[in-house]
Amino acid sequence: MNQGSGNQSSILQTFVKKVLAHLDENNPQALNGFLTLFNGSGNCKIIMNATPIAQPMMFLQMWQEQVVQSQHNLTSMDYHIIPGSGSIICNIGCKVRFDESGRDKRGQDAIVTNTGMPNTNVNARPVWGSYHGVSIQVIVDDRVLRNDLNGVISGFNYNMVYKPEDSLISIQ
Amino acid sequence: MNNFHNVNNINAMANQQAMANRVQVAIYNWQNGSVQDLINFLSRHSRVSVREPRIDGNRVIGYVSSKSDAETLKKFNGMRFAGNNLKIEILGGAEDESPTVKLLKGFLYRRYDPQNKMLNLGSLHTDVELQQKGLFSTMTTQSKMFPALMKLASKEPQIIVESVNLSDNNLRDINGITTLAQSFPNLKNLCLANNQISRYKSMEAWKNKFKNLRELLMTNNPVTNERTYRSEMLRIFPKLVMLDNVVVRDAQKMDSIFSFPFKIQPFFFENDQLGQSSTDFVSNFLNLWDTDRSQLLQLYTPQSQFSMSSDSSVPPISVKNSDQTPAFGYYLSHSRNITKISTESSIQQKLATGPEAISEIFNSIPMSKHHLQDEPDEYSMESFTYGQVNGFTITLHGFFDETAKPNVTSNKGRPRRFNHGSNSSADKKLGKKSFDRTWVIVPMGNSVVIASDLLTIRPYVTPAWVKPKTIVQQPQSQSQPQPQQIAQQNGMLNMPQAPIMGNAPPAIDSVQLAPTLQLPPDVRARLSSIQLELLNKLHLQTKLNAEYTYMLAEQSGWSYDIAIKGFQSSLNNIPREAYIQ
Repeated sequence: MNQGSGNQSSILQTFVKKVLAHLDENNPQALNGFLTLFNGSGNCKIIMNATPIAQPMMFLQMWQEQVVQSQHNLTSMDYHIIPGSGSIICNIGCKVRFDESGRDKRGQDAIVTNTGMPNTNVNARPVWGSYHGVSIQVIVDDRVLRNDLNGVISGFNYNMVYKPEDSLISIQ
Repeated sequence: MNNFHNVNNINAMANQQAMANRVQVAIYNWQNGSVQDLINFLSRHSRVSVREPRIDGNRVIGYVSSKSDAETLKKFNGMRFAGNNLKIEILGGAEDESPTVKLLKGFLYRRYDPQNKMLNLGSLHTDVELQQKGLFSTMTTQSKMFPALMKLASKEPQIIVESVNLSDNNLRDINGITTLAQSFPNLKNLCLANNQISRYKSMEAWKNKFKNLRELLMTNNPVTNERTYRSEMLRIFPKLVMLDNVVVRDAQKMDSIFSFPFKIQPFFFENDQLGQSSTDFVSNFLNLWDTDRSQLLQLYTPQSQFSMSSDSSVPPISVKNSDQTPAFGYYLSHSRNITKISTESSIQQKLATGPEAISEIFNSIPMSKHHLQDEPDEYSMESFTYGQVNGFTITLHGFFDETAKPNVTSNKGRPRRFNHGSNSSADKKLGKKSFDRTWVIVPMGNSVVIASDLLTIRPYVTPAWVKPKTIVQQPQSQSQPQPQQIAQQNGMLNMPQAPIMGNAPPAIDSVQLAPTLQLPPDVRARLSSIQLELLNKLHLQTKLNAEYTYMLAEQSGWSYDIAIKGFQSSLNNIPREAYIQ
């Protein structure tokens, strides 16, 4: 039922912040930790900018390999515990900015060098661009409230709702 | 600049000539008829056609093709139209311009190559005409010339520039040309070869300005000998691929770094059926939401939940049309944005369960008008199944107009006036808002039940999925936007450049026809300029020869719309000889 314990809101908020932190993670080692949050039974809906992605692993790999470093910032959140379904729907608003230094998550840039080897600078600081707006809906099992995070995410709908004109990142 | 070797160019050049000569006019007291009626009326009486008419406050502004046309039109000042006396004013354009501006404009059109979208401003001091007028005699006039030229160029909608050549101009630094970045922020190629630029420090002004510059040519400038020249150029121009004809960035790698792998789409439906029912649901729901919210309550059961949260974070100023001073006065007291509320009890309080509680919040948020039908591009939707409830979710992103204050103003909490710094009128002004709304829907027999309804209200922005309007659509006259769009969809718009650049305006006195449209002089004399223009447009669109174009126009009662439809439906029956050979 929907009254629940006193601190369900803060548990859910912490959970959502954890998901966003995973998205902003640079270290490929952390990928597996993120993957365990998603329902692995093949019945997990993932939608990015209105494009469905079949497998959580595929999504996470694309995010890890093809998206530059990001920084998400939670700006709004609301949720409903749907009675009788064992699940919760969260409605999340956040803003995200990207590293526009021209380096990917491994620190490699596109500059052509004499040696033929790519330039790599892992410790270089990111150059943050302007914020994009994002709307996310997440469907999670209510086990999350009992601190069971294993495979709780069964729906993840991530959509950009506004984009700054001065960003170097193209989303179209 | 000898571009006269093909038909398209001749047409484009003629167009440019016409664009440069056109004059802006304003017409007042027209309100009792439609704009189209007004334009038709004027063209019937004065034989002058007003192009690209648009409403600007209480007047209609448009262009006529020359000063003499403007004078002709002016004679109809005071003429009665739809019960009012028209007032016609010449706003300017060509004849108001100083001779220098005129000269520079003429120069610009001579130096612009529409085929390659290139503006050639190379070795200006050798230009005979500019020399004669003494415009490049001294350093100071030269330093004023560049900004003036660029400003003029960026104001001409017909000049689309991807490449600029500024070679051989004796430039010592870029101080005189920094405004290039404001005029052409999307420039792809820039040539500064054969100048005397010696330090890259002055180029710092362009850092982060040309975000799409792919190629830069600086050969024969002293600066190219600097030790850090290459790395500095790479730093200043983040998407530079070619520097002095050498590849400096791996274009493929660079593009993959700067492009988000999940390209934005406006719609996702898990299957077609879901698509249809979601679209129906959303349009019916919003219709009632805008007109009579109480009728929606039957969709909610005693267990249904609704809550609203306001996300007042202001988008960056570089987001198109973003509302930088949004007012959330009517929403804040109901907002269940849990990142902003500290106590669990008030979070629970702001959740409405059951029709009665839901109705209470419905009545306390401002009345609205959504524009799903008339501005569908402003909306985006995703819909997918939600197994745990044997139903599905629909998420809609978009905007609405706040049309009136809420029916009931909430008296919960302290009255606003006791809050320091609260300014009721500013907090509660009505305007546009963007929103995200998610419904969890459970089908029940022939109907549906809304299990959950989550609404986020945020400051208005132009949405991320809206594609920038290209110049192709911009100068279209208001009268006939449809057929061109339809033709585009059918992939038929394989037209030469000229007509794309706006419905070809007539040259000086009569309509400029495509060179392949040869009308017998007697036929031509019988036709009005509007008819000629229609023929021209049809001809270019259909590639039919003059005879058949004329037949098609005549059979369709000189309606472009009908003509194009007729053409498309009889495509298979049109003989080969009907087309331009």
